[in-house]
Amino acid sequence: MKNWRYIIYTFITAIAILFPFYTGTYLQHTASTILIYLSLALSWDMLLRAGQISFGIAGFFGIGGYAAALTHLRWGIDPFLSIILGGLAAFFIAFLLGLVVLHLRGLYFAIVTLAIAEIFRVIVRNLHSLTGGPEGSVLPSAIFNGDPSKVYWLVLTLAIITIIVSEVFQRTRIHFATTTIRNDELVAKSSGINIFKYLVFIFAITSALQGMIGASYTHQYAFVTPEETFHIHFTLLPIAMCLLGGMYTTIGPVVGALVLGTIADYLKLQLPYGHLLVYGIVIVVVILFVPKGIVGTIKEQLERRK
Amino acid sequence: MDNQRCGSFEYSTPLVYLGLKLISKLFHKKYQIAVTLVIGGVLLALWKPFVLIEGLQVAGLYAAIALPMALILGIVGIINLAHGDFMMLGAYLAYRFTVYTGADPLVAIFPVSLGLFLIGMATYRGTIKYMHGAPELIQLLLTFGIAIILQQLANLLWTSHPVSIHVGYASASATIGSFTFGTYGFVYVAAAILVFIGLFLFLRRTRIGQAALATGQNPIGAKLVGINIDRIYLLIFSISIALVGAMSVLFLTRHSIFPHVGGIFTLKSFCLAAMAGLGNLTGILWASLILGLAESFVKSFMGYAGWADIIFFLLIIVVIMVGSYRRRVT
Repeated sequence: MKNWRYIIYTFITAIAILFPFYTGTYLQHTASTILIYLSLALSWDMLLRAGQISFGIAGFFGIGGYAAALTHLRWGIDPFLSIILGGLAAFFIAFLLGLVVLHLRGLYFAIVTLAIAEIFRVIVRNLHSLTGGPEGSVLPSAIFNGDPSKVYWLVLTLAIITIIVSEVFQRTRIHFATTTIRNDELVAKSSGINIFKYLVFIFAITSALQGMIGASYTHQYAFVTPEETFHIHFTLLPIAMCLLGGMYTTIGPVVGALVLGTIADYLKLQLPYGHLLVYGIVIVVVILFVPKGIVGTIKEQLERRK
Repeated sequence: MDNQRCGSFEYSTPLVYLGLKLISKLFHKKYQIAVTLVIGGVLLALWKPFVLIEGLQVAGLYAAIALPMALILGIVGIINLAHGDFMMLGAYLAYRFTVYTGADPLVAIFPVSLGLFLIGMATYRGTIKYMHGAPELIQLLLTFGIAIILQQLANLLWTSHPVSIHVGYASASATIGSFTFGTYGFVYVAAAILVFIGLFLFLRRTRIGQAALATGQNPIGAKLVGINIDRIYLLIFSISIALVGAMSVLFLTRHSIFPHVGGIFTLKSFCLAAMAGLGNLTGILWASLILGLAESFVKSFMGYAGWADIIFFLLIIVVIMVGSYRRRVT
């Protein structure tokens, strides 16, 4: 009975793919937003598994978005190709920065990534001729002319890619390397793990994913501005979702994103201003009372039952 | 320029000798930053006097806000990412108070600091108390969560529309020769110096301050000699938040406020604290002078004002990278 897992996975994937056929445009739109945050949360968690916390999600998200928008706008590159270019831009920038920044640990790394995201924004805002300055740039049209079901499939593809990458990280030797690095760097080093190489690799890969997600988000809404594209939401929401679901797993951020995304979308209708309050409360409450997150707590309870 | 070379003067004139000794002392590592700053300041005063005045005032504001953060960092040992948001909260409370009573905004200093003292107390009791010994990252995420709660609460209660209070004396100015500048900004310099001296006296001269200092240096040792460290943490955290509250009133008299106004001050305060070294209060003054002068220097060039924001982010990165490099070398 080992195969029942794969049957469930296939079943869920089928439901997710067929989702637009039995729902309206509003639900499709909401689902794509949730999937975007889901992918961001999962990509953030991948770096967290190696013990490094990044506050720079919004930075690489924005870099991807701007790279895609500008290559599409200036050189007329196909939207799909420009999404991949957005990912590549984030990959190379993260790789180069990572070579310098990943010598830092914990707290210092977190603050520096926060600063880097802000620097990206300041640079983008001030390079008027290239990026359009504070007003940003507007694309001629949204991808697929704004058809929500096709946008949903695009975002779903990215989410599935992220989940697959995350599972690859979990099932290969990368998993053992990251876990050891997180628990004790000295042990990791003496077991022959090249810590720096792994960290730079993971940082670049996760940033590339964030860049691609940012690029598709930009194509979905067909505009970029420094304030919107680098908005703190794109850092805050994934972190809250990941904490709520449970860290260090693939399923945790996914569950967290689905639960919190649904709640938040409902609250957005009730409280147009300040609905993000929920995210702050979730972060604080989860850290204080459920440090393992939903998935971790359920697992613990199940094991205790046995 | 050491004493050996001074020997060739054969001490012919004691005055020269004294002068050289003074200069050689000034090149001592301890005074390097101060001397560089003074020389830079004099040059700046000759070239762009406005930059010097503006930079001093901005530095005062930064220092006054960063000092409480350094205090929390040094004694409680927590990076408070909600620091600037407490300031935003204080400014909003002061704004409501002023609008409600119609009094001068500066009157609000007392109720607002008291209010923030209590809020700080509640925050410590409710959340930060349980974070001692937790991993650094969890502490960071927790205060990040508190920051979001404060921001969004302000957004919910008072909307994101910027508000400000206009007071006549805030635009007071003075003229020296042909050069006119605003004088009200020196309030920030005065506040920074006042806070600095107050904290210095508190930590060195009072019994409870000394206990706090001991707790910051070695919590277990402090506990062993009978200091109630939990009480000390509570007190220091609340005092720091109250100081931020007092500063927020001064901030309100000059700037417009909105829910996200605090974020940048959190980062700047952290940057200054990192430059100064953990819990080093004197270093904060120098660090904020460097940051303030550098920012107004860049702003003084037409068309490059937007780039001024980048300075301190670069400063954060350089400071942290240099620090980590040193740690690896030694």
